[in-house]
Amino acid sequence: MSRKTVALFLCLLLALPMTGALAEEPAVVVTDMYGREIALAAPAQRVVALTAADCEILCALGCGDALVGRGEYCDYPESILAVPVVQSGAETNIEEILALEPQVVLMGDMAQSRDQVDMLEQNGVKVVVSNAEDIAGTYTAIRMIGQLMGKDAEAEALIADMQATFDDIRAKSENTSKTVYFEVSPLEWGLWAAGKNTFMDELAGICGLTNAFADVEGWGEVSQEQVIARDPDYIVTTTLYYGEGPTPVEEVMSRAGWEGMKAIQSGRVYNADSNAVSRPGPRLKDAVLELYNFINGTDAEEPAA
Amino acid sequence: MKKHREHFSAGAYGLFILAFVGTALLCVCLGSVPISLRDTVACLWNGLWGTEIPAGIAKNIILNVRLPRVLNVALCGAALSLCGAAMQGLLQNPLADGSTLGVSSGASLGAVIALALGVTGASGGVMGMAMGFAFLSLLLILGLAYALDKSLSTNSIILIGVIYSMFVSSILTLIISFSGEKLRTITFWTMGSLSGTNYGHAGLLSLFLALCGGVILGHARELNAFAMGEDNARHIGVNIRRVKLTILIAVSVLIGVCVSIAGNIGFVGLVIPHMARMIAGPNHKRLLPASLFSGAVFLMLCDLAARTVLSPIELNIGVVTSLVGAIAFVTIFYRAGKGRDRGC
Repeated sequence: MSRKTVALFLCLLLALPMTGALAEEPAVVVTDMYGREIALAAPAQRVVALTAADCEILCALGCGDALVGRGEYCDYPESILAVPVVQSGAETNIEEILALEPQVVLMGDMAQSRDQVDMLEQNGVKVVVSNAEDIAGTYTAIRMIGQLMGKDAEAEALIADMQATFDDIRAKSENTSKTVYFEVSPLEWGLWAAGKNTFMDELAGICGLTNAFADVEGWGEVSQEQVIARDPDYIVTTTLYYGEGPTPVEEVMSRAGWEGMKAIQSGRVYNADSNAVSRPGPRLKDAVLELYNFINGTDAEEPAA
Repeated sequence: MKKHREHFSAGAYGLFILAFVGTALLCVCLGSVPISLRDTVACLWNGLWGTEIPAGIAKNIILNVRLPRVLNVALCGAALSLCGAAMQGLLQNPLADGSTLGVSSGASLGAVIALALGVTGASGGVMGMAMGFAFLSLLLILGLAYALDKSLSTNSIILIGVIYSMFVSSILTLIISFSGEKLRTITFWTMGSLSGTNYGHAGLLSLFLALCGGVILGHARELNAFAMGEDNARHIGVNIRRVKLTILIAVSVLIGVCVSIAGNIGFVGLVIPHMARMIAGPNHKRLLPASLFSGAVFLMLCDLAARTVLSPIELNIGVVTSLVGAIAFVTIFYRAGKGRDRGC
């Protein structure tokens, strides 16, 4: 009995300096976007990512294999569709996540709560929070996930690639006084438009356009009269098309009272990939390229028409 | 005591129409984008006589956006308020309304199922399903109530209506959970918007309001009998079950159309009939027309606030009606409670 106790004591004594050494020099220290420090002995091997953007970043860094669980709205790239799905947001199911035995859970701050973070951490899972609200924030998120996975060089390369594209397009686009109006739904459901401090607003700025609803903060249901009166040069809709009825572009073109608008008369209406333009991930690059091509493609055709 | 005339005089109707037209004009003249009174009137005048209007923003906004919206709002307000008045009289319950009866929820369920199945082509599928489900909900509620209590008593209908609404709201959440990529469409729909309403919708609403509203107004005498209690109504020779069924069908069809066009707008059917009762008294020959007109005026004013207060942002009209309606409702009941005992 007493010998056992002594042995246990000795074990503890031996173990203490070891854990101490680990705590002093963890291989990976990440500061998440809430300013919390997260230390890991080695780059993460098993990760659950709850937001779609974080999944995209992980895959872009070549860490798709480390993904052991994904939030319900994570659907890109296709290779992750085989990964088990867990609930996210307010209904986040802690049990489901723990069952996947991740070392790290990546979550956004939008629909998650502090309690969920605490509960995961109490169960020995590290939580890293990302909350990118603009392109600069997206770079921070990429850098953070790169550190976490031990892929710093890949992260820097991805950021440099995105930055180069944005710079290139910014340089090619002259600042015009032309305006663009972004909406996310058909007229029937009300005109929900992107205002200031949205990714769409930032992408428009890179392409040299001004957001027609820059006076609206974030997202808002705007008045149809205002859209007609502001008469934007371009209309971008991110309505999803399910393959029946009029396409989103046709729906915009056929709205009563919109016939006289510049964008309608010149056909400058474009259906953008809703996920690419709204997720703080690597596909923002594709979104800005598409937007640039749309603006300049139709411009190039104009003289002929 | 002086004897009241049962019907409103022509003068009173004149006043109602004046208030209605005045409010409608006010709502067409005011909006998120300021347009001068002269341009507005010119647009309306030329539009009315079909003469050529110089193209421009004013024409597009007034004739294609504002006027159809005001018309739809007015018709919805009139329909919802009339339905509320009819149900309160029929069930002798001051809390009766499309929402308490479960008809509005049923209509929403139908619309959401249409969206989830993707039969959205035009809004025809959604509207058909909303009307169908409003009617089916009514049959189900009446059937259950009948099974529980053969006389279709008031309390059992209201109770089943409330339980049914809760049941439907859980089914809605369930459908939304399984909707996958349609999630966005369905969420937007449940928030409801009058933005897309056009003359076609207004035409449909007028048609159904004329049909079902006509039926309801035609039963004013029977509703008066119901107000004295179902037994009394039976004793003076009212065919209780036939009248109940007719009125409830008219109400459910009308609410189905309103919900499919404007979404669920709360409190109009609940509060406006009480206000109308304060002006016109409890006789349904006066109460029903008064509810019709005041419902239209009330909803037009609420919509005016929703359109202009936060311009360029639009408020959901339901937010405005619930804010105003809840306060008005409490006030009315407080006064009524002080004045006389109202058993409910």
